[in-house]
Amino acid sequence: MNLSGILVVARPERLSAVIPALNALPGVEVHLVDEATGRIVVVLEASDILGEIEGLKRIKALPHVLVAEMVYHYLADDRQTYAELPPDLAEQDSNACAVPAYLND
Amino acid sequence: MGLSRRDFLKTSIAASTAATVGLPISKQAEAAVKASEAGWQWDKAVCRFCGTGCGIMVATQDGQIVATKGDPDAPVNRGLNCIKGYFNGKIQSGKDRLTQPLMRMKDGKFDKKGQFVPVTWEQAFDEMERQFRKVYAEKGPSGIACLGSGQWTVQEGYAMNKLFKAGFRSNNIDPNARNCMASAVAAFYSVFGADEPAGNYDDIEYADSMILWGSNMAEMHPILWSRITNRRLGHKDCRVINITTFRNMSSDIADLEIIIKPNTDLAIQNYIAREIIARDAVNWDFVNKHCVFATGPYDIGYGMRPTDKYAFPAEKDTQAKELRVKLDKYEAIAQRRKEGEVVEQQNTADPARHWLISFDDFKRAVEPYTLDFVAELAKGDPDESLDSFKAKLRQLADHYIDPKRKVLSFWTMGFNQHQRGTWVNEQVYMNHLLLGKYAQPGNGAFSLTGQPSACGTAREVGTFSHRLPADRLVPNPKHRADVEKAWHLPAKTLNPKIGSFYAKILRDLEDGSVKWVWVQVNNPWQSHPNNNHWLKAAREMDNFIVVSDAYPTVSAKVADLILPAAMIFEKWGAYGNAERRTQHWRQQVDPPGEARADIWQVLEFSKRFKIKDFWGEQSVPGLKADGFPDGKLPSVLDEAVKLGYTPEASLYDVLFATPENKKYKWPDPIAKGHDNHVVRLLGDGWFPEKALWQEYVQFGRGKGKDLADFDVYHGDKVRGLKWPVVGGKEVPWRFNEQYDPYVKKGAGFEFYGDLFKAIPKGDLDKVTDPTPVSVAGKAKIFYRPYAAPAEQPDERYDLWLCTGRVLEHWHTGTMTRRVPELHRAVPAAVLWMHPEDARARGLKRNDLVWVESRRGKVQVRVETGGRNKMVRGYVYVPFFDEGVLINRVTLDTTCPISKESDFKKCAVKVYKA
Repeated sequence: MNLSGILVVARPERLSAVIPALNALPGVEVHLVDEATGRIVVVLEASDILGEIEGLKRIKALPHVLVAEMVYHYLADDRQTYAELPPDLAEQDSNACAVPAYLND
Repeated sequence: MGLSRRDFLKTSIAASTAATVGLPISKQAEAAVKASEAGWQWDKAVCRFCGTGCGIMVATQDGQIVATKGDPDAPVNRGLNCIKGYFNGKIQSGKDRLTQPLMRMKDGKFDKKGQFVPVTWEQAFDEMERQFRKVYAEKGPSGIACLGSGQWTVQEGYAMNKLFKAGFRSNNIDPNARNCMASAVAAFYSVFGADEPAGNYDDIEYADSMILWGSNMAEMHPILWSRITNRRLGHKDCRVINITTFRNMSSDIADLEIIIKPNTDLAIQNYIAREIIARDAVNWDFVNKHCVFATGPYDIGYGMRPTDKYAFPAEKDTQAKELRVKLDKYEAIAQRRKEGEVVEQQNTADPARHWLISFDDFKRAVEPYTLDFVAELAKGDPDESLDSFKAKLRQLADHYIDPKRKVLSFWTMGFNQHQRGTWVNEQVYMNHLLLGKYAQPGNGAFSLTGQPSACGTAREVGTFSHRLPADRLVPNPKHRADVEKAWHLPAKTLNPKIGSFYAKILRDLEDGSVKWVWVQVNNPWQSHPNNNHWLKAAREMDNFIVVSDAYPTVSAKVADLILPAAMIFEKWGAYGNAERRTQHWRQQVDPPGEARADIWQVLEFSKRFKIKDFWGEQSVPGLKADGFPDGKLPSVLDEAVKLGYTPEASLYDVLFATPENKKYKWPDPIAKGHDNHVVRLLGDGWFPEKALWQEYVQFGRGKGKDLADFDVYHGDKVRGLKWPVVGGKEVPWRFNEQYDPYVKKGAGFEFYGDLFKAIPKGDLDKVTDPTPVSVAGKAKIFYRPYAAPAEQPDERYDLWLCTGRVLEHWHTGTMTRRVPELHRAVPAAVLWMHPEDARARGLKRNDLVWVESRRGKVQVRVETGGRNKMVRGYVYVPFFDEGVLINRVTLDTTCPISKESDFKKCAVKVYKA
């Protein structure tokens, strides 16, 4: 699981449209809104980094969203070493330092 | 994980995010943050990726990075982080991370045709030394080389530079930054006499018009873009103009998008200059006091080899342009010559020489660049009307000229990776200087860099084949003497001959003149254009290639020896960003396995050599310099003995672990409990990153490049400092008396850089009086003509190809592609193409195609939609993908002055695979 804290900015008069649109996106929760400046703090949850990227892109693509950038990246519960490597980088031998097959083909 | 803990975590992350961007949070939320971050150690650091230089905070627990966030106190990014920020905490943990040296072996011995086998560091260095000694004995200082990087930390670059130039007496060291910002440097030198920008990022918050030239900032520099967006929305008169060869994401907020043909930026800038004069808008007070006019030769070639001996048969016609150019109708008008005239390129050897001209000559030179002429030449979208395009050019000129508007020009690789990159940089200053809109808040011109320390390491340390620290140059005897004195070297230790630049090192490998090369923190066999030549040279010639990297790259694949490197937060370091801001960080976690910092690799290798190995007489073919015998570096061993060295002294002791440096001891309270694996491995008790920093800073002090002491940057409140740091204070706008203590009192402005400040006089074509005239304190307004690209589409290769980056990938994908999830975000490189061009070739979206040039071909998939919208006749392929080596296709022309490669334009055909 990956979690990100994201700052979203919209014109204050658009907040009433933007906030429900954000909450309707998968994995997105609006946590804080500053009515005066149009700044919104959302937390995005996704199963992996791809999900985080796509989630951020979906936010950026919403109508009236002017800025959406990451602020906080939570990695502590993501201890996986990303085993799913492209086949050309697969390990040869587990004894010593893995020599990716790719280097010797 | 229970739901309640997850909710709790989310509350905490939201609160932390809010606090980071300055939104008020409740006591309850504050408590949640405290509880969920219990046991974490937060420390300030800097982002690993582009040259923006965002501050990030890194949290560690039990030797692991558990979170990162934008640094709220960092003036660059003010708490924000783009998506790349994520990878600062993730890049260390890819499964294919290199953790042991790997060498090509057969039957237990090194063999160039062997397979990679894990070896010990001892075995690795033994072979590296054996091969080095063999090549040095045969070829001397010219036969070895280092391909370095703008991703080196300052101290790593400094150490390698010193090892090569002082130890090995070789100037064959050049960074990949050559291919990123060398054109910006060359123009900073020629125009101002000193490298790097006058202004800083805060210009954004003062500017009225922001003009992007060949820079897709929205995608490439998203944090600066968010500041531009804020300014655009918060300041009602602010306007943004995007000048580009295709529609990109930056056009989304731009008020004006101008689509142009490759190289015609040269003509458009002359049109603006012509308008400034025609509308009587020259700021004469500024120009008379602070500027002179200058020009140089036109016939300077395209930075290719002077011979076609190594060219593939199909590329010989392009290569021939290096020697002679037949002027097309636009060049003929632009250069006041005749169409079809064949111009011998007679100034390829010294393309940078220049001379003073009169304003009348300057005015006469820009006269042909009328709106009609430039619009016809420059219009890039065949589907746009000429009238519409003309109106846009007029508006562009209005923005520059309007006396009420503060104007900020930005550019990235569209200008720098350009066959006339130095000229086009000089031209942007031409217009800012004519209008007196430079070196003031909101009035500036800004070259953005693609690498985190292109400025700090490559440029300021001078890890180029022609540079020494702090704007000193290899051929200048006074500069060499300064450096010899500071490094306690005998006079004439340093080699006065400029070494091979990046592209030339690869060409030297191809023709066998360089036979040993050490590559650190970069990936030349993926990232350099016209790659089939260099891939072949690496594998088929007799040479030895060492690649230090954290992950297996294309370059590692063609290497003979791979050394596993530590990554950013596994070591201590410093980077310098594009606004002159220097930022340091501490080691946060240990490198895995036997991976070790590049600086350790340099220091450890230096222990294997003695000064007598290098400081005797050395042959350097082609060396010609005052005080040196032709073709030779003299022996300096006798002088060395007088300085107290013995010939048996090791390079490690003479260059690095000097008595002065060993005074900086480890442990040091500045570490605040953080470790240093380099210190641990060296085991002799000194703190190299601090000692070498303190040694390095002496070069810039009093020279307008003043850096602060090591401990200052590590202060809790400091978020990097913009040099020159004078009396503890940063200089936000250089050359401006109000902000810069280096400017003489009462001068207003002073362009005090001292390089190339005595030049002859002449007219538009030649020098008329060779006596050098001093132009001290002044900036030069250059006239530079339009020149056509060396290769243009024709019947056989009928499309323009441009290459570049996409947001999710930076550098050559070496780090960001490690995380497979990201890998899938842009699964494989695509070729962006106009739907009609696709239709005309019987192609549709997702079809597999060949993209082929005179030099090579690769397979890609077609994309006709997406974020980049091509004009007809123009295609774009990003260069990050190991499976799509687009640089097999690209052309290796360079700006002849800066030697920076042009990745942005060559001719290709596209057909179904």
